[in-house]
Amino acid sequence: MKMATNSAKVAASYRADIMIGVALIFLAIVVPFIFPTRYLVGQLTIFFLWATVVSQWNLVFGVAGIFSLAQMAIFAMGGYVAGMLGLYLGWSLWISMFFGGFASVVFSTLIGVACLRLRGAYVALLTFAIAQTMYLLIITDTACFMRQGVTCRNFTGGTRGLAKFGDFGFRELLPYKYMAFGDYFLALSVLICAVAFSIFVIRSPVGLAFRALRDNQVCAEARGISKFKYQLLIFSASAFFTGVAGAVYAGHFRVMGANSLYLNLLLFLLSMLIIGGAGRIWGPLLGAATLMLVDEVLKEFVDWRLAGLGIILVVFIVLWPKGLAGALDNMSSRFRKDTEFSDRGGKSHIP
Amino acid sequence: MDGWVQIIASGLTVGAMYAVSTIALSLVWGALNVLNMGQGAMLAVGGYIAYTAATALNLPIPLAIGVAIIVGAGIGVLMYFLIIKFMIGKDSFETNVIIATFGFALVLENLILRFYGAYPLRQPIGIDGGWYIGATHIPYQNVLLIVASGVLMVVVAYILKNTRMGRAIRATAQNREATELMGVRVSWVFLQVLMLGGGLAAVSGIMLSTLTTLAPTMGYDPMLKAFIICVIAGLGNIYGALVSAFVLGLFEVSIQFMFGVRFGFPALLLLVILALIWRPYGVFGRRKTDRL
Repeated sequence: MKMATNSAKVAASYRADIMIGVALIFLAIVVPFIFPTRYLVGQLTIFFLWATVVSQWNLVFGVAGIFSLAQMAIFAMGGYVAGMLGLYLGWSLWISMFFGGFASVVFSTLIGVACLRLRGAYVALLTFAIAQTMYLLIITDTACFMRQGVTCRNFTGGTRGLAKFGDFGFRELLPYKYMAFGDYFLALSVLICAVAFSIFVIRSPVGLAFRALRDNQVCAEARGISKFKYQLLIFSASAFFTGVAGAVYAGHFRVMGANSLYLNLLLFLLSMLIIGGAGRIWGPLLGAATLMLVDEVLKEFVDWRLAGLGIILVVFIVLWPKGLAGALDNMSSRFRKDTEFSDRGGKSHIP
Repeated sequence: MDGWVQIIASGLTVGAMYAVSTIALSLVWGALNVLNMGQGAMLAVGGYIAYTAATALNLPIPLAIGVAIIVGAGIGVLMYFLIIKFMIGKDSFETNVIIATFGFALVLENLILRFYGAYPLRQPIGIDGGWYIGATHIPYQNVLLIVASGVLMVVVAYILKNTRMGRAIRATAQNREATELMGVRVSWVFLQVLMLGGGLAAVSGIMLSTLTTLAPTMGYDPMLKAFIICVIAGLGNIYGALVSAFVLGLFEVSIQFMFGVRFGFPALLLLVILALIWRPYGVFGRRKTDRL
């Protein structure tokens, strides 16, 4: 009996997720045709990429409880590998994009093996240090890797960034007016795949294992759930779409630079995750959208952008640590009369 | 021969810089389980306040340092009343506090940028001159830093070990609830530690800026190194941190000398990862067993 209601509930929440998803996809398809300004389409493309990264980070941080700060390093790995394959081997970005994703998975697995046996804050520090090392190695790269005429090109592009590896070819393919639409819909498709993947993971046995580990770690481990194994699994798997997003980012800007590893960008994305609501399916999207809007407003006060971000981050983590998604959830459950969903309680991270 | 003198001299200096930036971090993390990401910005604030006090206000150097310490402690108090106070005892305190102090750091960094600009400034506090060992020049400033980092560490360790306040801090670190039941006001302990940490951070910031320059982001690199040293030393182990700082400083400088400057930090990180695989609770750390 209990099983039956449970599976009915799971089916119901699946249906809700699919309905929200379809509505959002419809909106995303319609918007560029209604407002075809280049600025808006460009900003939305970037929004899709950041939302992809944050949705995968959410799996790592919100679902698996790994406080990793290496997310942008994994993103950059995807972008750099895709760019290098294009530059040095002449591959099309359409193919090297996937290899960027695979490279990110390998990179992430290595980081996971090195870091995941440690506890909370230690993981944050080591992953942060790894990202910083990657940044330093790139910007101090001055050795000559390849000569092009009189100029000397270094392996990673150094401080100037990696360039001239081509793009996705939408410029030739699409009429001038719709040129920006190519990258827009490519980024949108990556986001759709990433979110579908994260929904699948959260609702899968892996997601349930993490729920068990969070609710009662000792009991879960006694039942044979290995925390390390599941954390490593989710840490590796979530790297794929992060890396692909990095490759699309590289193709969109037609340059891949170490600026993707700046601390401020990492913090910007971390704020998206926290403000949206870590551990929730739609939290990352909500957070990414909110922060992109806030950033538009803060552009008017560019001198205080950092402080603005910092204050928002502090206010949310102190007052609403469950983010906007959590706050909305609380509000709706307060107004809802039937108690069908009340047994989820405060501890559940899945809406 | 001269090469080795050079390596040891600069290794010890680098080690002292690491040790100095580690003290406050190690204290606050070890005692309160608060990993203060605002540490880097607090180092910078200390340096800049001393700069202003010594140049614009024309105060004598000891007084300028005193002002910086008071402001640093004030920032610690601010951090307690604006952030930490509301988070004690809440769910996932350990990770949330990292994010909150990160946000706090952004605000501080932005304030420095607004008031002082992004260009590096020269710290007027410091002493000139130095010794020669063979052909190697050893500035007094570096020697002062090495000695001061050792003295500060010993003083902090003494306070923790032998004073009433130190006992309360250590008790809080071990078990917050039990400490509260023994009649210690834990919130007061938090405030004390954050004040002490803020003051120490200001001193560290002044000392760091005498060797490099003042810049709004000057604290990030020392903070990262300090994190690594805390990790390898084991949580809140102050003597372990002192030893690790000097060992890692010497190691990094030797690698930089032998393989090139850019491989110093990556080699350091590799060493740390290997050390942590060998001993996940830090080289000097002890395993904390949780009872059910």
